Amino acid sequence: MKTITTFHLLEVARNCGVDQNVIRQFIQEQWIVPYDKNQMQLDEEDVERIKLITELQDLGVNDEAVPIILHLIDQLNLYHQGLRH
Amino acid sequence: MSKNPYVILGVKENATQEEIKKAYRGLAKKHHPDLNPGNKQNEAKFKEISHAYDQIGTPEARAKFDRGETDENAFNQGRQNKEWSSYYNTQQNSGRYSQSFADSFGDEDLFEQIFGRSRSGKGSRTRSHVNEDIHYQMDISFRESILGAEKVITLANGKNLSIKIPAGIEDGKKLRFKGQGNQEYADAPAGDAYIQINVQEQNGWTRKGDDVEMELPVSFFEAVLGAEVSVPTLHGQVMLKIPSGVSTGTKMRIKGKGVLTEGRQGNQIVHLKVMTPKNPDHELMEELRKLQQRFAYNPRESNADAQSRGPFGGAP
Repeated sequence: MKTITTFHLLEVARNCGVDQNVIRQFIQEQWIVPYDKNQMQLDEEDVERIKLITELQDLGVNDEAVPIILHLIDQLNLYHQGLRH
Repeated sequence: MSKNPYVILGVKENATQEEIKKAYRGLAKKHHPDLNPGNKQNEAKFKEISHAYDQIGTPEARAKFDRGETDENAFNQGRQNKEWSSYYNTQQNSGRYSQSFADSFGDEDLFEQIFGRSRSGKGSRTRSHVNEDIHYQMDISFRESILGAEKVITLANGKNLSIKIPAGIEDGKKLRFKGQGNQEYADAPAGDAYIQINVQEQNGWTRKGDDVEMELPVSFFEAVLGAEVSVPTLHGQVMLKIPSGVSTGTKMRIKGKGVLTEGRQGNQIVHLKVMTPKNPDHELMEELRKLQQRFAYNPRESNADAQSRGPFGGAP
């Protein structure tokens, strides 16, 4: 059983150098589905995904394209998992 | 991290910010670990590129770097924090995101789409069996139907499915979850799960389109004189100002307290209902009799409204 470390949204905002309202917007858009939405606790997956989104935005990806790319990346990761099993 | 960011990004030291950005974007696309998964070298390379861009990507950072004030803290505390790995790595052992993707779309289907056959290796596309859809029912409260909710249900196969009920869902509406139905036959795609939403009634509340309607009892003092009263809404208590001279049946609108989503803004319609005291006090009756003698009016006459306006000083 893998143990999951979670971080509060404010902590993540501080650590990632991303404004907390930006993260809230990601959650609003459902690009990020927090590990525990009621307590606003994010796990490593959420944190990495937030960083990925900001990196995509740095690359010039606009808000319409972000969910499409996330979708494709998730699909790609799933195939990778499937191929290895 | 003593490498020269200009060298890493492959730009001249007098390059414009635009050129730096362009160079960064080109390299980042090529080496981003999530866009080029599975290559460890890419990951290290991407970190190097990001760090270089952090150093000279904005005029402020660049000026600092050019003055020789390297800011290594930015590398340790910033987005490229080494303790956290890449998104790709988090998804390699059944990551929640790729897994929820698998759950909602049915991974068996995905493999068939790509390889033209099922993963079980039978290799045949002809299907003699059909897996049936399964239908479920779910009761949700009136409040949840307006505000939306997140629920977890246990499917027949023992799997938990977390479902997001959109705000403003109508009674009887069905949500479909692909591939969550019957999976009896491995050579056919799994059936789908359908969840029918039943909205439970809430005493005193009804729904009309995106609006919610409810009845609010007021005393005759409040009806005649006006008042500010606390009213429950599905979004919390609000104060409602009741003007003087209202009657049973007067409707008041509280804006934005119905179904509230992007593109939908329902209201709460409050139907006022004047309630007289059940066992009026003797003294109260005496006083009212005196008042009646002075201010009697007949609401059944067509001009009663005009008459009542005088003494009570307010339009309905």
